[in-house]
Amino acid sequence: MKNKVNKISLIFVIFLMFLAILSHKLLIHFFTGNNYQTYSLSANLTIILISGIIFNYIISKNNIRSNKIFEKLRQNNEEIKASNERYDIVAKATSDTIWDWQILNDDFIWNKGIQGVFGYKKEDVGETSKWWFDRIHPEDSIKMSIKLYSFIEQKTEKWQDEYRFKCADGSYKYVFDRGFLVKDDYGNAIRMIGAIQDITKQKEEEQRLKLLETVITQTKDSVIITEAERSNRAIPKIVFVNPAFSEMTGFEASEVIGKSPTIFMGRRSVKNEISKLSKALRRKEEFKFETLNHRKDGGEYWVNFSMIPITNKEGEHSHWISIQRDISEEKKQEKEKEQLIRELTQNNKDLKQFSYITSHNLRAPLSNLTGLLNLMQDIPVESPELKEILNGFSTSTHLLNETINDLVKVVIIKDNPSIQKEEVLIKDVFENVFNQLTFLISLHKPILKIELEKVTILNINKAYLESILLNLFTNAIKYRSPKRTLRIFVSSKEAGENIVLTFKDNGIGIDLERNKDKIFGLYQRFHNYPDSKGLGLYLVKSQVETMGGSISVESEVDKGTTFTITFKK
Amino acid sequence: MLDLILCVDDDPITLMLCKMVIAKSAFAKEIVTAQNGEEAINYFDELKLNNLGADITKYPALIFLDLNMPVMGGWEFLDHFSQVSYAPLFPKTKVLVLSSTIDPKDIEKSKTYPMVIDFLSKPITKEMLNDLRSMF
Repeated sequence: MKNKVNKISLIFVIFLMFLAILSHKLLIHFFTGNNYQTYSLSANLTIILISGIIFNYIISKNNIRSNKIFEKLRQNNEEIKASNERYDIVAKATSDTIWDWQILNDDFIWNKGIQGVFGYKKEDVGETSKWWFDRIHPEDSIKMSIKLYSFIEQKTEKWQDEYRFKCADGSYKYVFDRGFLVKDDYGNAIRMIGAIQDITKQKEEEQRLKLLETVITQTKDSVIITEAERSNRAIPKIVFVNPAFSEMTGFEASEVIGKSPTIFMGRRSVKNEISKLSKALRRKEEFKFETLNHRKDGGEYWVNFSMIPITNKEGEHSHWISIQRDISEEKKQEKEKEQLIRELTQNNKDLKQFSYITSHNLRAPLSNLTGLLNLMQDIPVESPELKEILNGFSTSTHLLNETINDLVKVVIIKDNPSIQKEEVLIKDVFENVFNQLTFLISLHKPILKIELEKVTILNINKAYLESILLNLFTNAIKYRSPKRTLRIFVSSKEAGENIVLTFKDNGIGIDLERNKDKIFGLYQRFHNYPDSKGLGLYLVKSQVETMGGSISVESEVDKGTTFTITFKK
Repeated sequence: MLDLILCVDDDPITLMLCKMVIAKSAFAKEIVTAQNGEEAINYFDELKLNNLGADITKYPALIFLDLNMPVMGGWEFLDHFSQVSYAPLFPKTKVLVLSSTIDPKDIEKSKTYPMVIDFLSKPITKEMLNDLRSMF
């Protein structure tokens, strides 16, 4: 511009000088000698006039041009303003955080997103690129900066990256950052502008889905997804199988996708379920069954097969999910268990039979002995020696008979776990027991204290309860202390869901420290009494337990014994 | 006192005991014995043969029957004896099972035969016979 002004001024001066010389030469012919003053005035006027015209021309021309330029500038200005406004509006509207980096003087400007999205205060936001880099997760920063610098050095054409950016509260957000370069006339990068998008939600969802996907890919259960059938007749086509499917069936995914599940479901195996299956398919209902299926190589495996209909967003049935669990091992164990139970049942039956036969074969000759002895009672025996022998013979036979009868009771109890139960009034049972014990009671005259709650009705077996009480009473009498009068205290009361029977005596007691484990055992005797066989308490416990009750004992030597029997109401 | 009874048992001692106790308590005039079910059936066959066509008048009113016997056991005998070729011909004959068994199933089973009046444990006693007497 300056040059142009100089140029115009120079041309103007030269032209005026040329005009001055030219007008001088012209006018000298008209004004010769004397009229010098007039000449000078007219020459000056002419020059002033002509220069005025030229000047006017130049200024007016310049003015027009200036106006044009001004107009253009104004327009430009308007455009810039509008563009700025648009930028502001976009920056406000977008959720992206915009940054603007003057690379040469490292001047870094953020838009309001840095406050809104990441929670920084206006005064906390740094103005250099370092502030930016410092907030990138250490695990992501190296990878990110390599990509960024190769972009700035223009080795790559595009730059976009995902990284974690630190928020004001110290947490990290996943961001997606895109940027472009502004270059100078020589193509050097001088400025970079970028937009950061918060993708934390997408990322978390992505990770959640990935995790969920591992369930399908890692599970040992085979998972198949099939289309919902289009027509009623068609069997749905497979769209997905997981690796466990191939493992289980021997079919690769590529072999079955697009085909019908019948390819791996043996006709033979599904035959039994086919009507159930097609009904469920028609009704779009969940269903499951167990079947013996065949692998591709023909091997058999037991499978628990279930099919669940799933719906799309609109609630329309879109796919079937089918899960198959290989239950061969369970089936095998089940079979083994069944086999074991069969064997045990058979063994038990054999043993029971054995005990019946043994007992029968023992009882038969024994009953003969008893019968013969009974007959002998009526025949007078002269020899006192023979009489003594026969007495011994008789005592032994009766003892043997009692033992065997007790054992038989045990066998029968063990054989009848589900014994018939009835409602029993405890009072009645006691009366029966006392009737049987009249002789013993009148002989030893124990002091009896019996406290029975009135309406105590037990859902138990009457004969067993009688036998239990009879055993406990005879034990109490048998093992009374010679030093004091026998006292027996019996009580029955309700305790919540239970009925508790307590049976207490002041007899010679049992050394529980030594005999705790043995007290209810078979053939366990704690006192050397001639008629103790070690069966009574065993029988009591068996009978109590057969009726679903429990029995416990407390005892102290030379103080007495307490039995506590608990039955469910 | 019954006229005639039959004791079926494979054990000769038991049979001897039966005879002695029955004789002592004057329960029956005459006692026939058989060592197993087959012998008992043969005995009834003989009764039928000896009374061809005519009504049989003299036959056991009571059978003491053991269960476990060789050749033919008590149950098999009862099955035979329940058939039309026997039961209608001996309408008054009752059976008393006399056994050493403890198998509860045996007692249940014995109740399914209408001619069985009771199931008792050995040995046979005078008290048992006294109770029985009232049933005849």
